[in-house]
Amino acid sequence: MSTINKLERHQARTAYLFITPTMLLFIVFTIIPVAMALYLSFTNYDVLSRMDWVGLDNYRRLWGDSLLWLTFRNVLLYAVIFVPLNIVLSFGLGLLVNRVWRGIKLFRTFYYLPTLTSAVAAATVWLWLLHPEFGLVNGLLSYIGITGPAWVAQTETAMLAIVLVTLWQSVGANMIIYLAGLQGVPDHLYESARLDGANRWDMVRYITWPQLRPTTFLVSTMAIIGALQLFDQAFVLTQGGPANVTKTPVYLIYQQGFNQLQMGYASAQAFVLAMAILIFSLINMRVTKAEESVI
Amino acid sequence: MKKKWMTLTGTILTAAMIAGCSGNSGGGASEGGTSPGADGGSSGGKPVELTFWGDWGGEGQVQFETMVKAFNESQDRIRVKYVLQQDMITKFLTSATSGGSPDILFWDRWRTSLYAPKNVLHPIDELMTRDGIERDNYFEESLKELTYDDKLYGLPLTVDARALFYNKKMLEDAGLEPPATWEELAEAAKALTKWNGDRLEVAGFSMSDPGLFSMYLQQAGGQMLTEDGKTNFNNEQGLAVLSFWDRLMNQDKVYRIGFEQGLGEGTDAFVTGRLAMHFTGPWMLSTYQKYGSELDFGVVPPPAGPNGDRASVMGGFGLVIPEGSKHKDEAWEFITWWLANKDNAMLWAKTSLNLPGYKPALEDPFFADDPQWQPFLETLEFAKIRPRHPGYSVMEVDGLIPNLELFIQNKQSAEDTLAKSQTQGDKLLKDNEVVK
Repeated sequence: MSTINKLERHQARTAYLFITPTMLLFIVFTIIPVAMALYLSFTNYDVLSRMDWVGLDNYRRLWGDSLLWLTFRNVLLYAVIFVPLNIVLSFGLGLLVNRVWRGIKLFRTFYYLPTLTSAVAAATVWLWLLHPEFGLVNGLLSYIGITGPAWVAQTETAMLAIVLVTLWQSVGANMIIYLAGLQGVPDHLYESARLDGANRWDMVRYITWPQLRPTTFLVSTMAIIGALQLFDQAFVLTQGGPANVTKTPVYLIYQQGFNQLQMGYASAQAFVLAMAILIFSLINMRVTKAEESVI
Repeated sequence: MKKKWMTLTGTILTAAMIAGCSGNSGGGASEGGTSPGADGGSSGGKPVELTFWGDWGGEGQVQFETMVKAFNESQDRIRVKYVLQQDMITKFLTSATSGGSPDILFWDRWRTSLYAPKNVLHPIDELMTRDGIERDNYFEESLKELTYDDKLYGLPLTVDARALFYNKKMLEDAGLEPPATWEELAEAAKALTKWNGDRLEVAGFSMSDPGLFSMYLQQAGGQMLTEDGKTNFNNEQGLAVLSFWDRLMNQDKVYRIGFEQGLGEGTDAFVTGRLAMHFTGPWMLSTYQKYGSELDFGVVPPPAGPNGDRASVMGGFGLVIPEGSKHKDEAWEFITWWLANKDNAMLWAKTSLNLPGYKPALEDPFFADDPQWQPFLETLEFAKIRPRHPGYSVMEVDGLIPNLELFIQNKQSAEDTLAKSQTQGDKLLKDNEVVK
């Protein structure tokens, strides 16, 4: 008995030893900065000359900050379109490439490639594709007699353009995650379903999708966090315009902190964003973990 | 050992100086200016090493390094080194408070009103007097932009202002003279625009940048801000600008929004002959000149408004000395060598193809006799800087421009646009004003 305890203690010690470097880095680069940011959000810190305690002033100012709430509305709208599409598309692609066909690896590579490009470079190319007069997208539309809009310059389509570009760039990575999940679904489930006379759709609906619930949880959580933190693509494609419809909280926080040197207030804004992410992630957890299926 | 001790004293001295400067924020003279460079080094021994930060890479880096090399070769007491900082301002924020500050900083002048109140820049008034540097050799507006609370914080390196670029061939083909008034501009723009069904083939005049509102407003006889720092465009002059834009955009349809978005160099609409006229600055000259005879273009000062008011917005860069520098005297020597000496200012101008901030250099035939530079010299005579309010750019970018975009896209009336810009703009100005 005592030898087992000894062994366990030994193993525990080794385990702690192994996670120590990671935990140290996590504490130094994540926990401490977060705690400091929380403190700063109660000060008028300007990086250079001041850091006085101002109590709840920054949080009071948040209430009247209509621009901040507008940016939250923007990313929520973005998330509502982006997250479901992202899940559907990457799940669909995952199903498609989860076969043992010749050359399927080539397709997997193709679908994954956009993920490897830098966000800024990809957005720059897309800007060109979406050009109202000379862009490929409107060129194709004109063949079927449609005059395409000025995608990134018009208030109606600017956010759609960003959804399009970010989807193109992120479904590849999620496809890989789904693919890994799909290959972990035990075959005997499908076999018994077939014996019971289930068709292909039934199997996807009642076996694959429920089996992949943890995967969907991961993908959707990451997508929600990413959506609320939208910045680079929006910045390159539209610089937050036209008429503020694509301005995002991260852009505003950066501007307030680094351009206007109001780091205290920017920290308060950042905490609101963090809280929003936390809330939406919790909601997402409840939804995906629910016993009833989501579709 | 001795050197180490000297450095230590130097550091303590500098630290004391900084503390002293930030302590007295009143108008009185700060002692920083006249104190000898923290650790001498002017006579014999190793040369003083200076760090010069800038965020220009590529060609710009080569241009800076040319100047640095010329300076280093001109004497043997000071060695300057150019360090490229891609994210210079953020880096400066940390270095200004935690040591490692550069000695000379390449400075976008409009930032002065935001940084000078935080006591991280070194005032140079006493050095100016000591060395007899004439203020008259610089555009008063450019010095004003480097001034906060009656203290001057740097010298202008470049000056720029937007003027009207036009495609000579297209205007000649249409039998038009370069426009000198709004009326002529609108007529020319209409005549030069070509639509093919619902496709815009050639835009007569670029309306891509609503940020130019401030220039138009002054041409209409208005001012962006009042004396007490509130927006000042919800009035007759503001309406004049918007009705002019409405005429160009919606009645004469000389442009389509998004027309130039995503077009980089080489596909630039002005280069490819898809745009006949646009406002831009001297920084585009060298790019356009590369196309030689393929692009025959001319430049004229911005057309005058309805009452004959002429206006353009002056911008440009300067060089400043951070308060954290340990070698302010040497840094100042480098700055005056570059920015208060005609030969060196010309070397800079010819290397970088920028208009130098030092006026005597602008009288050089290189600029004065060149038909493409000359219109800029004329424009600079009446150009004014942006208002010096630390919240000004936020007011423009987050308050005014979004509303102007709605107006241009026909989604908001002129009256609503100005009223909303005023409310939102005033709030942003207030939220971002200097905190004493």
